[in-house]
Amino acid sequence: MLMKKALTAATALVAALGISAAEAAWKPTKPVEFVVSSGPGGGTDQFARTVQSIITKYNLLDQPIVVVNKGGGSGAEGFVYGKTAEGEPHKVIFGTNNEWLLPLVAKLAYKPEDLTPVAVMAVDEFLLWVTGDSPYQDAKSFIEAAKAEPGKIKIGGSQSKDTDHILVKQIERAAGIKVIYVPFKSGGEAATQLAGGHVDANTNNPSENIGQWKAGGVRPLCVFAPERMAKGEPVVDGKGWADIPTCKEAGIPIEHYQMPRTVFLPGGVSQDAVDFYVELLKQVREKPEWQEYITRTSQSNRFFVGEDLHTFIKNNEDEGRAVITAEGWLVK
Amino acid sequence: MDNIASLMHGFSVALTMHHVLLMMLGVLLGILVGVLPGLGAPNGVTLLMPLTFSMDPISAIILLTSMYWGALFGGSTTSILFNIPGEPSSVATTFDGHPMAKQGRATEALTYAFLSAGFGALAGVVLITLLSGWVAKFALRFSSPEFFAVYFLAFASFIGLGGASPFKTVISIMLGFAFTAVGMDTVSGNVRLTYGFDELLRGISFLVAVIGLFGIGELLLTMEEGLRFEGVKARVSPRKVFETLLTLPRYWVTLLRSALIGCWMGITPGGPTAASFMSYGLAKRFARRPEGFGQGREEGVIAPETADHAAGSSAILPMLALGIPGSATAAVMMGGLMIWGLTPGPMLFIEQKDFVWGLIASMYLGNVVAVVLVLATVPLFASILRVPFAIIGPLILVICVSGAYTVDSAAFDLWMVLIFGVLGYVFKKLDYPIAPMVLAMVLGDKAEDAFRQSVIMSGGDLSVFWSNSLVSSIMSLGILLLAWPLLTRIFRLLRPGRSTGTTTA
Amino acid sequence: MSTNERSLISRFAMEVVTGCIALLAGIVVVLGALEYEIGWDEAGPQPGYFPFYVGLIIIVASLGVLVQGFLNRSRTTGEAFLTREGFKRVMAFFLPLAAFTAGSYVLGLYVGTFVYLAGVMIFQGGYRWPFALTVAGGITVFFFVLFERWFQVPLLKGPLEAFLGIY
Repeated sequence: MLMKKALTAATALVAALGISAAEAAWKPTKPVEFVVSSGPGGGTDQFARTVQSIITKYNLLDQPIVVVNKGGGSGAEGFVYGKTAEGEPHKVIFGTNNEWLLPLVAKLAYKPEDLTPVAVMAVDEFLLWVTGDSPYQDAKSFIEAAKAEPGKIKIGGSQSKDTDHILVKQIERAAGIKVIYVPFKSGGEAATQLAGGHVDANTNNPSENIGQWKAGGVRPLCVFAPERMAKGEPVVDGKGWADIPTCKEAGIPIEHYQMPRTVFLPGGVSQDAVDFYVELLKQVREKPEWQEYITRTSQSNRFFVGEDLHTFIKNNEDEGRAVITAEGWLVK
Repeated sequence: MDNIASLMHGFSVALTMHHVLLMMLGVLLGILVGVLPGLGAPNGVTLLMPLTFSMDPISAIILLTSMYWGALFGGSTTSILFNIPGEPSSVATTFDGHPMAKQGRATEALTYAFLSAGFGALAGVVLITLLSGWVAKFALRFSSPEFFAVYFLAFASFIGLGGASPFKTVISIMLGFAFTAVGMDTVSGNVRLTYGFDELLRGISFLVAVIGLFGIGELLLTMEEGLRFEGVKARVSPRKVFETLLTLPRYWVTLLRSALIGCWMGITPGGPTAASFMSYGLAKRFARRPEGFGQGREEGVIAPETADHAAGSSAILPMLALGIPGSATAAVMMGGLMIWGLTPGPMLFIEQKDFVWGLIASMYLGNVVAVVLVLATVPLFASILRVPFAIIGPLILVICVSGAYTVDSAAFDLWMVLIFGVLGYVFKKLDYPIAPMVLAMVLGDKAEDAFRQSVIMSGGDLSVFWSNSLVSSIMSLGILLLAWPLLTRIFRLLRPGRSTGTTTA
Repeated sequence: MSTNERSLISRFAMEVVTGCIALLAGIVVVLGALEYEIGWDEAGPQPGYFPFYVGLIIIVASLGVLVQGFLNRSRTTGEAFLTREGFKRVMAFFLPLAAFTAGSYVLGLYVGTFVYLAGVMIFQGGYRWPFALTVAGGITVFFFVLFERWFQVPLLKGPLEAFLGIY
C-alpha cells in the first residue's frame, strides 16, 4: 500500500515537472477508445468530450482518442460493452452512478464489479425547480401545497427508476407527501415542460435549467446538497447559485443527493493502467478548460480516486439501494 | 419589423469571404457524409467539433450548419440513384425518386429534389425570421398530449389503404411498432422485448433497418431481375437541369403545401423524417391523378424533399430558443454551443443577437450555396453509375454494411442489416408495404411515450387528448385525415361520373 | 434453357411461409410483453400493454394473410415467387454477401471488405488478379483513412489489426 502511494506520488512528481508520463509502468500502445454511456449531446457525452478535447489540446496522450457513444438502455449498453472488453485497458468508459444503480432495477448482463472504477471527476447537483410564475416562493410552501392535495403535484424528470425518479421518491418519503412523477426522455425535455407549465416542478441539474432560469421560465427553490453551491456570477436579478438555500435548511430533510461523473476501465486490468489514467485525469483537471467546464455546468469540482472512490461508490449505492428496495423496484 | 433589421445586421455579420468559404467547405463535407448511409450529419458535426474550438462561435456554427445542409442534400442523392437513403429523412424520396432514376430520368429527379429542398429550406428560414418570438412561445405550449396528437396526425396522413392486402399493411405497421418497443422503456424504466439478449439493449436501430430494407433489399431485387442498374445509366447535361428548373413552378401547390407541412413538423417536435412521410402521403391523397405514385411521379420527389428541408431548417429554432434538440445532429450542435460558452434557451435571442442573427442569415446563404454546389456535383455522382457493376455493386454493399456498423458501432448490426435486407426483399416481392413499417419505427416509441406520459399527467383520464383547443384540433384533423379515403369514396358514390372525368385535366 | 425458367418456389408457398413467420413473430412479441404487466393502472398503460396488443394484432393479421393465401391458392400456386434462374442470380449475390458479413464479424470490416471486393471482382467480374487486388486494396485503404482518421468513427477490427498494432 505504502509502495503504491509512493509510486503514485512519484508519477505525480514526474508529471508535475512537465516530463511526459513515458516512464510510467503502463501506457497506451494503440488508439484509446472513450466509451460514452449516453447518446450524443447528453451530460455524459459532454463530460467525455471535454476530457478528450483537453487531452488532445495539451497533447497529454501520444495515442489518438476515439469517442464512441453507447447509450442504449440508459447507458447499460456502454457498461455491458465494457464488461466484454475485459482486460483491455485501451477502452475507457464514461458514465454516472448509473453504473451501479442500473443493475439494481433492470436485469442486465453485467454487475457493477465487472468494471474497474478509475475516478469520480465531478459531482452534479440536483435542485428543486418550479415554474417562473409558480405560487410557491420556497420549498416549504411547495411541500405544504403537496401535503394539502396528495397526488396532485406533478414533478417531471428524466427517465424512470433513474436518478431523478429516485430523488423524487426520497422527497416523498422525507417530506411525507405524494406526487405524480412524469418521466421524460431527457432533462432538457423536463426543463421545457416545466417552463411551459405542463408540470409543477422538476429536479434538474443546474446546466439543464439555467437557460430557462435566466429567461424567467423556471425558478430554483432549493439544492439537495449539504451546503450551498459555490459562489459564481449572479444569474438573474442579482441572484446566483450561492443564494439558493439547501433543501435541508428549506425544510426538506434530505442531507445530500448528487450525481457523480465517473470514469471506468474494463475488469481485469492492471493497477498500473488504472494509475496511468488517474494521472492523466489529474493533469486534465489542472487545465483552465476543465475549470471552465465545471463553472459552465455549475457542477462541483470533486475528485475521488483509490480508497475514497470505493467509499464514495459504496455509500452512493447503499443510499440508492434503500430507495429502490423500498419502492419495490429491485430486480431479482 | 424588428426582425428584418436584425436579419440585415445578421447578413453583415455572415457575409464575409471567410464565412462563405467555410460554408462551401461545410456543404462539401456534408454532401460526403450524407452520401454514405449510416454516416450522417451527427458524425460530420462530431468530426468538425474539435476544429471549431479555436473558432469564434459564429464561424463555428456556420461551418456546422452548412455541413448539416450538405448532409441533407447528399442523403437525397443516394436515395434517388441507389434506393439507399443516405439520411433517415430521405427515405420517402426513394419512393418515386428511384423509379424515376430507373426510367433514365435521374437528372430530373435529382434536380427536382435539390430545388424543392432548397425551396423548403428557404421557407423554413423565412418562418424563423418573421416569427421567431412567436414560434418559441408556441412551442412551449406543447406537452405530451400535443406531442401524441402530432405523431398521430403524421401517421394518419400517411397511412391509407392502398392496393396491398389490409392484413399485410397491418402486419407491416405492427412489426414496426414491435421493433421500436425493443430496449429501454423510458416511462417504466424496464428493458422490454430483449429476451435476455444483450445486443438488443440498445433497441433496433431505425437506420440499420432502413439500410437493410431499402439498400440491400433493393440490390437483391435488382440482382434477381438481372437488371444490373442498366436503366439508371443516364447522361447528365446542364441543359436538362435547366429545363427541369423551368418546369418546377408547375408544381407550386405541392411545393407550398409541403413547405407548410415541413414548417409545422419542424416547430412541433415531429421532425424532418415524419414531415417527409406526411407530405408524401398528403401529396398522394390530394393529387388530382393519384395513380402513378411510387412509379416515378415528380410530386413524389418534390413533396418529401420540400417538407424534409423545411422541417430541418425550422427545427433549428426550437433548438436555439428552447434548448430541445430535435434530432441527433441538433443534440451534437447544442453540445457544441455549450462548449463555445453559449447556453441554448430563450436568453440566447436576447444576449447573443449577433450569433443568432448571423446564424439565421447564414442559413439563407448556406442553402443557396448548398443548392448550387449540389447541382454542380450531380454529374459527378451520376458518373458513379458508369463504373462497371462488378465493382460498384459490391462497393455499394460494403458501404451499406459499414454504414450500418457505424450507426451504433455494434458488430451485431452486421447481422441485423442482412436480416432486414432479406425481409425487405421478401416483403417487396409479396406486396407487403414497407413504408408503413418505416414510419411506425420513426414514430412508434415516441408516440407510446407521449401517450403514456399524457395519461400519467391526467391520472388515467383519456379526455386529456381533447383537453384544450390546440390538442383537440390536431386530433380532429388526424381523425379527419384517417377517414379521408372513406370520405372520398362516399363522395364518389354520391356524385358518380365526376371521379373519372377530372383526372385528364 | 426453358427448364431453367421453371418456378422453384411458388408464390403460394412463400405466402404461407411468410404468414407463418409473421405468426411466430406475433407470438414472440406477446410472450416478451407478458414479462411485464399488460393492463392499465392509475398511471395508464403498463409497460407490457402496447407490445402485448401489437403482438396480438400481428397474430390476427397473419392468420388473415394465411386464410387469404389459401383462398387465392388456385391463382398463386402456378405463379412463381422465384424461378430457377432468378434463384441462381440472387444466390450469386447473396452468398458472397453472407460470407462477407460472417467474415467481417470475425476478421473485422477492413479485411472483410478487401477479401469480398477482390473475390467478387475476380470470380464474378472476371477481372485479372493484379487489377482486382489493387482496386480492392485501394478502396480498403481509402475507407480506413476516411473512417478512422477523418471521421474518427472506428469500424469493426479483427485479429489482423491487433497483430499489426494498428488497433
